[in-house]
Formats: sequence, C-alpha cells, structure tokens
Amino acid sequence: MSNITKNSLKILFAMLLIAPSMPQAEYGDVLINNYSEAAGMRPVVFPHWFHRIRFRCKVCHADLGFQMKAGGNQINMLKIIDGEYCGACHNGEVAWSVESCDLCHSGMPGQPTQVHQSTASKLATGSKKKKAEAE
Amino acid sequence: MIRQAAQLARFHYAVKLSAVSSLLLVIAATVNAASEIRTGKQVYDVACVACHASGVLQAPKLGDQQDWRKREQQGFEVLLNHALKGFKNMPAKAGNPTIKDKEIENAIKYMLASSGFEQYVSKIDPDPAAKQTPGGNKSADKKPSQKIGISSVNSFNRLMKSSAEWNLPPAEDGIHDPENGGTHMLQPPKQSFESLSSSKNGNRVDWVKALENNEISPRYDRLSDDVKPIVMDLNIVREVKGSMPDVVYPHKQHTEWLDCSNCHPAIFIPQKGANQISMAAILLGQKCGVCHGKVAFPVSECRRCHSKEKPLKAATENKQAD
Repeated sequence: MSNITKNSLKILFAMLLIAPSMPQAEYGDVLINNYSEAAGMRPVVFPHWFHRIRFRCKVCHADLGFQMKAGGNQINMLKIIDGEYCGACHNGEVAWSVESCDLCHSGMPGQPTQVHQSTASKLATGSKKKKAEAE
Repeated sequence: MIRQAAQLARFHYAVKLSAVSSLLLVIAATVNAASEIRTGKQVYDVACVACHASGVLQAPKLGDQQDWRKREQQGFEVLLNHALKGFKNMPAKAGNPTIKDKEIENAIKYMLASSGFEQYVSKIDPDPAAKQTPGGNKSADKKPSQKIGISSVNSFNRLMKSSAEWNLPPAEDGIHDPENGGTHMLQPPKQSFESLSSSKNGNRVDWVKALENNEISPRYDRLSDDVKPIVMDLNIVREVKGSMPDVVYPHKQHTEWLDCSNCHPAIFIPQKGANQISMAAILLGQKCGVCHGKVAFPVSECRRCHSKEKPLKAATENKQAD
C-alpha cells in the first residue's frame, strides 16, 4: 500500500515538474471561469496583448471600471448585454457583439480563473513543488 | 478497519487515476496527431521526457547507462514490447495511443543511443534524408550521436522557453480549446508582434518603446482616436536599502497608458514616504506587482526600475580617484 502511495506521490511530483511548463499561454492572458463552466460554456480567455495594442489601460481600468484582479469583476452576460464591462465595446459598434459566443468562450474546460504566465503563479507552483518534495 | 482500508484504497485509486488522466491530458495536448513518422528525439521530447529525463517511477534515466544496462540486456524486442503494451509503471505507449509503433521504436533507440549504447547510434535516423543512404555514412553517424547524448543531458537553458515556444497561436497555447471553432478565428500574437519593438520578457514586446515609436496607437478613449492622454512628466526617486541602485519611477511612461486613479490612492498613497514597497510584495502581486509580473514587464528586468546608481558609491569612487 505504501508503495502505491509513494508511486502516486511520485506521479504527482512528475506532473508538477512538467505541468508548470505546459500551458504556453501569452503573457497576461486572463482565464475567467467565474460562472462559465457552471453554466455549460467554455471558460473565457481575455488576451491583454490584443486589447492593449488598441486601447490604453485607462479605457478599461478607469473608464469602464474593470478591477485589476483576475475574476474580480463578477461579469455576467446580463451586464455585458446592458453595455457594462466588455459590453461597452463588444456591442457590434466598436467591436463584434455578444453573438460570437465562441470567440470569448474559447478556453479549455476545467481551468481555474487566473492570469497566465504571472510571476506570482510561478512562485506558487514552486512552493507546491517543495511541498511535494518534503512529503 | 476494513472500511478505512477500502476508503484509503479508493483515495489512492482516485489520486492515481487523476494523476494518470491529467498526465494523459498533458501528453495529449503536446503530441499532435502528425501523419509523418517522427524521429526518436521528437517523440522523446513530447512524451518520454516526462519520466525518462528525471528518472521518476524507476524509469531509466536518459544518459545513465547503468540504469539502462539491465533493460538493454533483455533485448530490444522486450523493451519495445514493454513500451508498447505497458510494464510496471510504464504506461502503454507512454499513455498516448496516438503515438505510432514505429515512433515508439525510434524513441527507444534514441534513448539507448543517448545513454551510451553505441550499437544503437547507427540505428537512429536523425532525418529522413539519412535513411536513403544507410551504411554509407556510418562513421559520420558516430559524431552527431555523441552530440545528441550530450546536448540532451547538458543542454543550455534547459528550463527556458525556446524561441519556437514564444507567442504560440491560440490553438496551440494550452489554454484555448482547439476543438472550439472560434479559437481558430482569433489572431495569433506573432502576427501582431512582428512589427513591434522586442524585449526579452513577457510578451517579448517592449510596449513602452512600441508606443514611443508610434508602432502602435492605442486609443485613450473608448470611442475616439483623437483624445490625447494627460501625461505627467515627474520622476520619483526611491532610495533602496542594500547595494541595488535606487529606483527611478517615471510618471511619464505610466500616464501614457494609465489614469491617475488606477494607482492613486488605492495602490499608492500620493504622499512622499507613505508607501512601504518591497520586492516580496511586488512578487506576490501587490504594489508595482499589480501590473509588473502580470501584464507589464516582470521583475526579472531589475535595472529598468533600479536604474539610478547610488550617490554613496559615486562618492567613494571619487575618493578613491583622489
């Protein structure tokens, strides 16, 4: 039995070793899965890089009231259709409208809300690794 | 007691199952169902590497001849059979049924050749061109094989992303679902970044330079191209402890992008000496770390902030000169 425990721990450890390097997401890509998957949709991927080529941070983070925290805005489709948050531009005038569901809801299912490639997330994986090693 | 044991067993099974299934996911995501037969190294790099690089689960380690000797003595056929059908901790085909039998064969030959078994050196085919002239380049084969052994074990920047792994198209980046139709309509980052000033970190784009050089012209207003940002040109120098150069914080570059209210007063109190900032806080995503390390350049670019040499150092240097 202890052998099984050891082996499963080792598998987990091997996973941790390769898992952090796995997603090659673009720096600043935000995965938002507050409500999506529970509602039967793929999670949302928000690409910072794409938007910052077209808008300065101020437009979304000051004018539109986006908090600078992944998943910190409790955005839902109702708000978007009412012209709040993403809906301020994704209304068929400034940018394509909400009908193109799968352009935003394009994330691989099963992922948690997070900013990809962030320094903090890399550090967190490091501590998990250490924990696994200690066990 | 029995119930406990059953629970424990179920837990282990669940752990193992979840580990194996996520391992499968990881592998499935990396290995594309390519129609061509891949070389041993190619297969090793996406599948075998998970265990055979570090030697976990008693997997023989690449480059370690001791590890491989007993296995090799059983004969190649046995090794191949184990790899194809699974043996002890080795899952069948490394847990990925899309890998072809021939590719598994190539991978084993590659691992043996890289672990000091010279007889396999001539059997690995580095590229299809070499296949056409077997025997003809036997002596020429020997040198590259030694290189393979060395380069895979002691390669430089082993844990760093190679340039081929930067700015991947959405369908290959591991967070977008390639089965989602919309994923393939999204713009690949490389396409946009090609014409922009490059940097060594983050998106590999120097966003400040890109803006300065008018390579991009992001709107300051949601609807209008004509609204100009309210730029404030004021440098704040923060003296830091230790030997690092002092920090020069430029309001100019920040106000090009941001509004005062983005930072003040929630993140930084607009008053001299009122803000405690440490690298630890920044690394954890507070203070400067709200953006730097997430969307703005990460802290690994020390000298972009710590840019002002300490006057103390200059003074001692002057003294020495005197």
